[in-house]
Amino acid sequence: MVGVAQLVEHWLVVPVAAGSSPVIHPMFEASTDVERETTTRSGISSDVPWQTVVWNDPVNLMSYVTHVFRSYFGYSKPEAQRLMLQVHQLGRAIVASGPREEMERHTEAMHEYGLWATVDRASL
Amino acid sequence: MRVTPEITGVLIEFSPMERELLETLLAQYDELVHDQLDDTDLTDDPALGRLFPNAYPDDADAASEFRKYTREGLVEHKSANSGLVAAALMSADDAGRLAVERDDAERWLPALTDLRLVLAERLGLRRDDDPLPNSDLADVYAWLGELQWSLVAALDPESAEEPDGFR
Repeated sequence: MVGVAQLVEHWLVVPVAAGSSPVIHPMFEASTDVERETTTRSGISSDVPWQTVVWNDPVNLMSYVTHVFRSYFGYSKPEAQRLMLQVHQLGRAIVASGPREEMERHTEAMHEYGLWATVDRASL
Repeated sequence: MRVTPEITGVLIEFSPMERELLETLLAQYDELVHDQLDDTDLTDDPALGRLFPNAYPDDADAASEFRKYTREGLVEHKSANSGLVAAALMSADDAGRLAVERDDAERWLPALTDLRLVLAERLGLRRDDDPLPNSDLADVYAWLGELQWSLVAALDPESAEEPDGFR
């Protein structure tokens, strides 16, 4: 995520050297790795706890992410900021857990807000 | 560009150039989004992949089901948001001022995020600390970010505060 200072940082920044390659986010690496085994989830009870995970990205404003967590999930300001900071500093945060269908709805909602979210099974 | 909070929402003031810029971006975005009505896997295209993320990166079948189930709704939702912003821009007075009600202003936020997501991919931004190049596109990206930040600050000042203990 970015804070306000970084929005105008480009006035001060030296352009990236030619030939440097951007880091590809692990998300995209996994999806293009044809040797990676994909597991199917069929047959697993939807009672097993599932999670909605929000991932960090270099675009979304910290203030906007906090705002989404407050507006959509109804988190308190301290809790919304805590989760936002977790996304920002650790790369991801679990923003909800429960039945699979509910987690898919939350994930879809996050996509509507322009956040990057995935559905995952809770670790047993 | 100036954003002022009001009781019913926000007052936004744009220069003619800013209005035209935003209108142009929204038109291009709308076209891009409508091209994605068929629920193809967009993981290979980073810009579109961010607008329509893969909800199940480890499960191709579940990912496909999720896409089928959500793609059309997402396209319509995103298109409606950008349409709302475009319509508001057309309602601006000669001085470039437009009053936006709170509920509508809330929908500007995801529209602006989506514009920035696409531009960020064009600019090659992948990590938090990637520097912006020195280009017109980068200036537009920064300007959109300032607009979005100003709107969040006007609608939800508490969320725009720096968190306690954040270095």
